[in-house]
Amino acid sequence: MPFFEILGYGFIQRALIAGTLIGLLCALLGIFLVLRRFSLIGDGLAHFTFGSVALVLLCGVSATWVTYAAIPLVLIGALGILKLTSSARIHGDTAIGIVSALGIALGVILASLSGGYNVDLFSYLFGNILIISRNDVLLTAALAIVVVAVVALRGRAFFAVAFDEDLARTSGINTGRANIILVLLTALTVVLAMKLVGIMLVSALLILPPVAALQLGRGFLPTLLLAAACGILSVLSGILASFALNLPTGGTIIVASFLLFVVAALVGRWRRG
Amino acid sequence: MPMILLQAEELHIAYGSTDILRDISFQVRTGDYLGIVGPNGSGKSTLIRAMLGLVPATSGAVRLLGQPLAQFSDWQKIGYLPQRLSFANPHFPATVEEIVRLGFIDKHGPKRRIDASEARHLEEILTRMGIIDLRQQLIGHLSGGQQQRALLARALVGRPALLLLDEPTTALDPETREDFYAIVKELNRELGTAIVLITHDTWNIGQYAKRFVYLDKTVIFDGTFAEFCASAEMTSFFGEHSNKTIYHHHGEHC
Amino acid sequence: MKGQLTMPRIFLLTLLLIGSLMLPACSKPESAAPTASKLQVVTSLFPLYDFVRQIGGDQVEVTLLLPPGVEAHSFDPKPDDILRVNRAGLFIFTHKAMEVWAATIAQSVDPARVTIVDASVGTQLRQSSGHADEHGAHGHTANAAAIDPHLWLDFANAQVMVENIAQAMARKDPAQRDLYLRNAAAYLARLDALDAAYRTALALCKQRTLLQGGHFALGYLTARYDLKYHAAAAVNPEAEPTAATMAALVQQMRRNNLHYLFSEELVSPKLAETIAKEAGGSVLLLSAAHNVSKTDFERGITFVEIMERNLKNLQIGLECR
Repeated sequence: MPFFEILGYGFIQRALIAGTLIGLLCALLGIFLVLRRFSLIGDGLAHFTFGSVALVLLCGVSATWVTYAAIPLVLIGALGILKLTSSARIHGDTAIGIVSALGIALGVILASLSGGYNVDLFSYLFGNILIISRNDVLLTAALAIVVVAVVALRGRAFFAVAFDEDLARTSGINTGRANIILVLLTALTVVLAMKLVGIMLVSALLILPPVAALQLGRGFLPTLLLAAACGILSVLSGILASFALNLPTGGTIIVASFLLFVVAALVGRWRRG
Repeated sequence: MPMILLQAEELHIAYGSTDILRDISFQVRTGDYLGIVGPNGSGKSTLIRAMLGLVPATSGAVRLLGQPLAQFSDWQKIGYLPQRLSFANPHFPATVEEIVRLGFIDKHGPKRRIDASEARHLEEILTRMGIIDLRQQLIGHLSGGQQQRALLARALVGRPALLLLDEPTTALDPETREDFYAIVKELNRELGTAIVLITHDTWNIGQYAKRFVYLDKTVIFDGTFAEFCASAEMTSFFGEHSNKTIYHHHGEHC
Repeated sequence: MKGQLTMPRIFLLTLLLIGSLMLPACSKPESAAPTASKLQVVTSLFPLYDFVRQIGGDQVEVTLLLPPGVEAHSFDPKPDDILRVNRAGLFIFTHKAMEVWAATIAQSVDPARVTIVDASVGTQLRQSSGHADEHGAHGHTANAAAIDPHLWLDFANAQVMVENIAQAMARKDPAQRDLYLRNAAAYLARLDALDAAYRTALALCKQRTLLQGGHFALGYLTARYDLKYHAAAAVNPEAEPTAATMAALVQQMRRNNLHYLFSEELVSPKLAETIAKEAGGSVLLLSAAHNVSKTDFERGITFVEIMERNLKNLQIGLECR
């Protein structure tokens, strides 16, 4: 199929638009998550979504709306991760591991207790960027606007918190609130992005573009902008490459973002000498 | 009478059933230079963190600039240099200038924009700290001493009335250490900035601090250098050879 | 700090949640104690379950392991399931390519007690082409040798499976031998009639190409009735369709003026809807019968009913007279 002809299809155009937005969303949030050593929160929340969806299905919510109905539970899961980290002697990655495992376990138990569903649970959980609906695109756009606005207004505070939480608090930043905003936005992004692009892609997009930007960035603002650019570039080049080479789109996006990271690491090393 | 900047009243901090600090009451006024000494585990860092609301008090109260901690919002007036930074990533994407700029604070936290006079002040501080040439470097790429200067610059750029320093010189070589203390001393003398300094650095403390608190879960001693030299606590802290260890700022020693 | 979700509270909530779900499950009478005299049969997938039901009538206790709505490839048996297999007289599964877990369970039982039945013995197995093209003219890939496990969709295969099962049941429970064989013969005739109905109905269709906006599951059916078959994705449910495959399906619908795209029941129809909408058509549901929805299962739906429902939708979609 000729390359340019394929761009004429509506589902391809929606994939490109939604992909750009998701790449941007994930990169903007991911940079703060990576710096806070919360990189795996995407994975953890996606697993927790599995349990939440199982529970919501059990309550008889129709299949079309399950992922959205699960959002409040996933938000609670995100706060749980945060609470675990701030209390006791538990690191971020450990807290994520706990919530992630709990989500899977609950999902498996609930699926078994329910004695079956009217739909295949997994096929509703794992998305594909090529089958995004118009409403999904609009919802993604709305979330992207919120995230861009929050980062524009409170980015400096997030940055200060990532640098040192005590210093941030003695600068008059409500660090508790900043953390809550960050994980809640991440939870929303994960649920939405997971439905659109699948579980593995969310996690990779939250990690790889920010880490690529960290190889090159000379300061905070350049790194943030670079991460956003890397996120968008990964998704767009991944989608286009998958058309050109006739490969599954989700996997190609991840490989593209990994290659981008490798290039960034090499350039970074070369620049440092 | 100089203004009371910091006031602890019957401060008590416990984790579970273990007392970390008990019955702490003292004041810091404009122009003070207070050295807090005490053995390891005596609660020095906890005390300074409690003063800033980073550790919740079990009972008692702290007032900053006359206001209870819960209502306090004038953070630009307080400069804090923590003992250890939580960031350990040498590639943390922040330049020296970006970190120092975080010291300009309004009621929402670090300011998003600074005006021309603030920009000039930023330059002055960077120059005075000797890190003006490093302003575009990543903070993680600097040496320990340079990092400490950058963080001191961050604490100073908002023109604080009170500066809290938690073992600021542990990572520094003796020469850089001298330098660091000289800067702090100058601030205290010229601008009247009140200094609260926690240190193990027994050689220098007597040389700079005007007043001492000897802490061991509670305030055991609070007084001037001369009084401190005469006290039994000093001997217990510094040992038999204390007279060789601690010097007054006029060059005399105990 | 009031009103905050503290960890103990979260754990308490979770425990309550699990507890409240478990209570009814625990107190549910486990369909009484199995009557000792009746033959106990455990099957892995729905078609086998229904075949046993048709052959044994009320003389057997049959259990379906795969819960309704759970994907056959990713099913994880519970301790109770293993126990049930170990207590049964017969354990019947389709093919080791379909239910890997069934083979694992089969290895763990006492062969003197439980007879394991591979229902696929003697059936004609199709290779599933790695690519989603029935004739495999293009796109034979590395995994081309994989077997399409939906073998019951060829009714001749279904008949072989029924015979295999009937023989095994007769051997295990000789007292009811005559009943089993009589019922089986009647059911084989039902399948013959079903086959004839398909052949007649599908002979007169305007369209000869079945387009599926999902996984390649109906290969046996289309091969038997000489239809062309294009699916958006390969047999393996984990495989993702590529943009080019999707675009090709859209073009095919437009070029041949097709108004319907088929999608598998239970699976999210989003992929099919996206393609169909792009081409200005709509989606019809088909079932590969390996699994049924909870509602259908509780209603006691049969394999033949499912296939009759499929035929109705095929007649609409292929514009048959």
